[in-house]
Amino acid sequence: MDIELAEQLIDSLRVGLILLDHEGRIKSWNGWMQHHSGLTLADVRGQRLDTCFPDISGSRLEASITDTLRFKLSAMLAPSLNPNLLPLYHRPADRQHDQRMQQLIYITPLRHPRCACLIQIHDMTAALRRERRLRAQSTQLIETSYQDALTGVGNRRRFDQDLAQRFRQAQDKQRPIAMLMIDVDNFKAYNDHFGHQGGDACLIQVARTLREGLRRDGDRVSRYGGEEFALLLSETDREAACAVAERLRMAVEQLNLPHPLASGIGHVSVSIGVAAMIPTREQLCYILVAQADLALYSAKDAGRNCCMWYDAASGSASPLPASLIADLAVD
Amino acid sequence: MSELSELYRDALGELFNIGVGRAAHSLSQMVRNEIELSAPFVDLIRPDEVAVTLMGSEFQELSLVSIDFAGPFASKAMLLFPERNALAILSNMLDPELTPEEVAEFEQEAMCEIGNIILNACMSTLADEFQIELHGGLPEHFFCDTDSLAQFAADSADHLVLLLQIQLNMRQQFVQGHLLFLLSFSSLQALSACLERYLDRFGMA
Repeated sequence: MDIELAEQLIDSLRVGLILLDHEGRIKSWNGWMQHHSGLTLADVRGQRLDTCFPDISGSRLEASITDTLRFKLSAMLAPSLNPNLLPLYHRPADRQHDQRMQQLIYITPLRHPRCACLIQIHDMTAALRRERRLRAQSTQLIETSYQDALTGVGNRRRFDQDLAQRFRQAQDKQRPIAMLMIDVDNFKAYNDHFGHQGGDACLIQVARTLREGLRRDGDRVSRYGGEEFALLLSETDREAACAVAERLRMAVEQLNLPHPLASGIGHVSVSIGVAAMIPTREQLCYILVAQADLALYSAKDAGRNCCMWYDAASGSASPLPASLIADLAVD
Repeated sequence: MSELSELYRDALGELFNIGVGRAAHSLSQMVRNEIELSAPFVDLIRPDEVAVTLMGSEFQELSLVSIDFAGPFASKAMLLFPERNALAILSNMLDPELTPEEVAEFEQEAMCEIGNIILNACMSTLADEFQIELHGGLPEHFFCDTDSLAQFAADSADHLVLLLQIQLNMRQQFVQGHLLFLLSFSSLQALSACLERYLDRFGMA
């Protein structure tokens, strides 16, 4: 092949090529390098790479070039571990914002009297941007798959996953974990009276009230089933969980959503069962749900629109202390 | 196997420990965090013993980086981590914001480079101390399982394997893997000759 053709080919490649001599000085670089660095071969010929690009001194790129010149070893530098090594720009406008190209770099030794090292640079910007976009999409999809379509709070899948994870953490750290099982009172009658759309609107309002009633980051309401919501509280003992339960119960009561068929107040209300424990190594997470469930049914039996907590000592549920309810009512 | 005397094996062990020490230094600089590496044992085994040796250490799915080296002796050098351990290393080295799924996406290219750093550091130490040149190719990454190790053994029946257990320690986490150097009998002889000259320089041969 004649030299002129070889030069044309090398300049047409969509990859950056740098040739170094045995002292690590630039012998040649191709059209791609000129285009993306803004420097012509005449600007850089005979210089060492770290003179042209001072930021690479002390970097893995510099060390790899030394290894290639000294020992004839090859190296690859991945963009995920060496972001934006060289000041190369995908488009000239990126230079103003110092938005460097994402680079995948190969360094290989050459057996030639004047050339000792070939550096190849691939522009990974588009590939990485595509990956980022796909990742954002998949994150959003995952997010959606954990959301209850009607109320926007977590769904059952979210709850099951949170339960397994937080219960394990409580076990590992031997810290308390609490759970609230929350059920809308007389919901079937509400649905029968207002129709399913009315029932849906009620659930949306209750879910929003529960969510807005939470005060700690990381606490999350999930829709457990039909008109049941569940709330897990890490690092929370029974007393604190009961206070949260009573606060949420009052918040729903204060929504003042008319419910002509509700016995008593004539408004939409919720009953809440509370369970809290420091789980032993042997316990399964479902025990927390079973205890909260039992307390919830006791609250229903006790006339609804109230909270009950599960008492492990007696194996039955008890009402909240009057002093706690009085304190919260004053708040 | 007795193709390498105890003295030679100790010398190799020391050289490889210098090598992985250098690799640890490079890796630490990259992640701006202390990473320690050690390669406590050097063993010379037959390829068909590799699978047995590695299977004993909970290897199922493997993350493997290989580089071909050529010089006075030729060797296929490999760094092997159980897939789970490879992901543990990467989750420490890559952006901490990444989820486990994202870490897995970068596994191939990032392991390729980490393998490149560790294997090159070992080979450059040998080249340096033996005063030779070792032409090294670019790293390749594979996923494999113990079945493919059996195939590997069948393909390289006339070779021997220099096996090193490698321990990587970062952020109080210990991660274990293996370094393998596949050598033909003639390459093993050439390596022994290099070791002899090296020890001779210190009056120890």
